[in-house]
Amino acid sequence: MAGTSAGARFYRQIKRHPGLIPMIGFICLGMGSAGLYLLRLALRSPDVCWDRKNNPEPWNRMSPNDQYKFLAVSTDYKKLKKDRPDF
Amino acid sequence: MAYPSQLGLQDATSPIMEELMNFHDHTLMIVFLISSLVLYVITLMLTTKLTHTSTMDAQEVETIWTILPAVILILIALPSLRILYMMDEINNPVLTVKTMGHQWYWSYEYTDYEDLWFDSYMIPTTDLKPGELRLLEVDNRVVLPMELPIRMLISSEDVLHSWAVPSLGLKTDAIKGRLNQATISSNRPGLFYGQCSEICGSNHSFMPIVLELVNLKYFENWSVSMV
Repeated sequence: MAGTSAGARFYRQIKRHPGLIPMIGFICLGMGSAGLYLLRLALRSPDVCWDRKNNPEPWNRMSPNDQYKFLAVSTDYKKLKKDRPDF
Repeated sequence: MAYPSQLGLQDATSPIMEELMNFHDHTLMIVFLISSLVLYVITLMLTTKLTHTSTMDAQEVETIWTILPAVILILIALPSLRILYMMDEINNPVLTVKTMGHQWYWSYEYTDYEDLWFDSYMIPTTDLKPGELRLLEVDNRVVLPMELPIRMLISSEDVLHSWAVPSLGLKTDAIKGRLNQATISSNRPGLFYGQCSEICGSNHSFMPIVLELVNLKYFENWSVSMV
């Protein structure tokens, strides 16, 4: 029957209880941020190895100018120099 | 150090601790406002003869008290995350000091230039001199230069301990087999006390930490005399 899909039922529920919209919005914001951060960690973190053949140990190839942390309050990564010997 | 009947945080000695104190003031103010509002509403509810027994619909107020707490939580979370990332920043330390937790004392190693290491035991209460602090003084203090960033590498030789100095906003766990890093940057000279902060056995309350922050000249003389 038309109108019994999950989207249509959801839409009708929202119209009957519009006060639920902020709550759904904040829950989506929270879970979305958590999911996106997890995705960022999985794809950008040097501690994670996806490809054992071509990139076996990404933590050995970190450079001083890359920003690995999510937020840099007062560190300018362009200005950092590498003062350690090569591995 | 802490004083009797203390209610708040100890005076800040490092920039991170100042940030933490500001954040604490901001969050505590929010907490006080919410608590006093709730207490006021409770007293209103309990001191009225008016009643309303039929069920009601209250979409507007429900919307407000969904959005407002979420906004308040975001206003608490953003400064908190900012300070969290600030604590992890790279700051080019001039000195590295290693501390190992043992049952039940701390040992310190200054191995950048010389081979300097020593153990730091608590002074028993019966051996205290007049004016010294009970359960807080140690025989060998950790002497460090002030106003310079110093890297602390913290680990343990046996069980879990935690190296904490509240005035500098430091608390880092000492875990066997793991190396944890903290940064000390003191704004002023003086003695700063802390205590082991992870249960580690019978004398867990009796292994304090004392930092003696001095000027660079005094620190250099001290490290030469201790080797």
